Amino acid sequence: MRRARIESLGVSPPRRGLLRWGALKHTVEAGKRCLAASKYRPADVRVLVNAGVHRDGHVCEPAIACYVQHALDINVDFHGRRTLSFDLLNGNVGMLSAAHVVSAQMLAGEVAVGMVVAGEANSDRRPDAESTIPASGAAMLLDLSPTSGTGFGAFAFDTREERADLYTSVVSLKEPHGKLLIRRRAELEEAWLEGAAAAATEAFERDGLTPADVDLVVPAQVSPAFLSRLPAVLGVPREKVADFTATLPDTLTTSFVLALDRARSEGALAPGRRALLLAFGSGVTVGAATYRF
Amino acid sequence: MTRKIRIESLGVRLPEKVVTTEELMASCRRRPRLDLERITGIVTRRVAVDEYAGDLAVGAARRALAMSRYAPEELDAIVCTSISKHNRPDEFTFEPATAVLVRRAVGAKKALVFDVVNACAGLLNGIWVLQGLIRSGAIRCGMVVSGEQNMPLARTAAREVRHSLDGQLAALTLGDCGAAVIVDASPDEAVGFHWLDLVSGARHDHYCWSKPSSRGSGGILVTKARGLQIEGNRNFPAYLKQALDATGWDWSDVHHVIPHQVSTRAIRQGIRAISRYMGCDLPDVFLSHAETFGNTTTASHALALHDFILRGTIRSGQNVLLVSGASGIVISHATFTFDDLPDRYRAHVNGAPA
Repeated sequence: MRRARIESLGVSPPRRGLLRWGALKHTVEAGKRCLAASKYRPADVRVLVNAGVHRDGHVCEPAIACYVQHALDINVDFHGRRTLSFDLLNGNVGMLSAAHVVSAQMLAGEVAVGMVVAGEANSDRRPDAESTIPASGAAMLLDLSPTSGTGFGAFAFDTREERADLYTSVVSLKEPHGKLLIRRRAELEEAWLEGAAAAATEAFERDGLTPADVDLVVPAQVSPAFLSRLPAVLGVPREKVADFTATLPDTLTTSFVLALDRARSEGALAPGRRALLLAFGSGVTVGAATYRF
Repeated sequence: MTRKIRIESLGVRLPEKVVTTEELMASCRRRPRLDLERITGIVTRRVAVDEYAGDLAVGAARRALAMSRYAPEELDAIVCTSISKHNRPDEFTFEPATAVLVRRAVGAKKALVFDVVNACAGLLNGIWVLQGLIRSGAIRCGMVVSGEQNMPLARTAAREVRHSLDGQLAALTLGDCGAAVIVDASPDEAVGFHWLDLVSGARHDHYCWSKPSSRGSGGILVTKARGLQIEGNRNFPAYLKQALDATGWDWSDVHHVIPHQVSTRAIRQGIRAISRYMGCDLPDVFLSHAETFGNTTTASHALALHDFILRGTIRSGQNVLLVSGASGIVISHATFTFDDLPDRYRAHVNGAPA
């Protein structure tokens, strides 16, 4: 059975320096790198989904994906080849949800090539102390895998809506330009760990796998302490969990893609290897996807 | 089962309070000289009182579930497409996704949840997303829901509008509403969505935007209405014709066209644009109720279905063309044949307590 796969990856990691990049600039930079590494031309992208939550100037209309489409020059005019751009918001799980949606459109025969992008930054001039975000961008270009059995396997999402108040982000409109307020409560990581166990189990079952079949777990880089608790929850050895937290901060939506890119650069994604991708977000939702390279 | 999906159930939460355009204009600190009611044709709109966007979405979701054959725990997905995520005064909620709040309120314990945001094209975009998930076998049924509480934008506009050409005037045409549709695979090839297409012309992404005000509290909606209409009307008729051709319909097959209810004037201009493009006079099939409910953004099409089904205008078995234009610019079209939903909906609403 054919599966959707990540044909190309592009990232724009947090930068040092005086000039601050916004979420859109990071997203576009990641998108450019992703397209440059791809065999596809920009015009081949039939659907573009932006999953970034926090946006420059807290713009909520139009879809930020339209700005990205414009900046990447992907079928920006009507008529001729067409692209649909929209935003998908699901907290830090958004890129995995978007990959699920694009993958479904591919398996349904609606779309041949799709792109999932995200960028995160807090654009406030005086950011709230609890709401700082290391600005970054990430992009994945998806197509149908030419070889059977490679690419995304099963997607699973565990949502514990009764604990939705553990993680909120709102823009206060009481002051000019708005102010981003991200609030995470102490019990959040416990809820994520419970969700990770449930989502991973469901993904394994759907794909006919066991934890022992997985060569690598690529989680969002929440924190060293959090990642150190994942092996016991997932039933995998500690060395199988990709931990780049020493050099890679938690960049929210883009985090697991940045980790995936780092694992690739270290040669950990050899053909035939199986991975479990994990993202942890508000909701409280944990997203899991099995992937064979 | 076929590859087609259908609207299995519909629910609308329409606030009771009516506010006139004259009242909104009178509330402006500097009242513009133009006659907004005459220009847009919008006379009244509904306004939520002590309810927020999430409440309107939950209200609509509950009503859709009340008529559905699916129980909440059978829903495989909830996609929320609201633009206005005002769940508290002076606050815009990015997380958690509004779909999570709907899932919690209705008890859809196994539903996949996320928000899809694509300006006024949200509802059709959400249906397109669910169509892919259903066709791929990932889910069996799902709900697209939206709760639009647009009055905070109108209140900012009333405070900040300075002249008759002010970009925030369009915010005074908005109305509040919650809407939900439940979609599943159509059991009959003859009914359901025949064509559902969305396209983004991102070169035109600068005609309409919404963000926090730079001059004070609240959010703003800025629209370059003339440019948006000119570009939209220049480009959408070709996609409309494509939708008809791909479905195998001509105008004699179309019982109703439901345009996005921006304003009665915009709808008239759109009809003229189609007529020019197709080189023929169009039948009287375009439905408009913008004069009563204003522009309810993503809830617009579902509210129109609700209203015209209850009036008896839309009947079971009829063919409908949905047309939407949204900032971005996103042009979307859907051709759709009803099963017995209009009959069921009338019976349900008329028999159910208000």
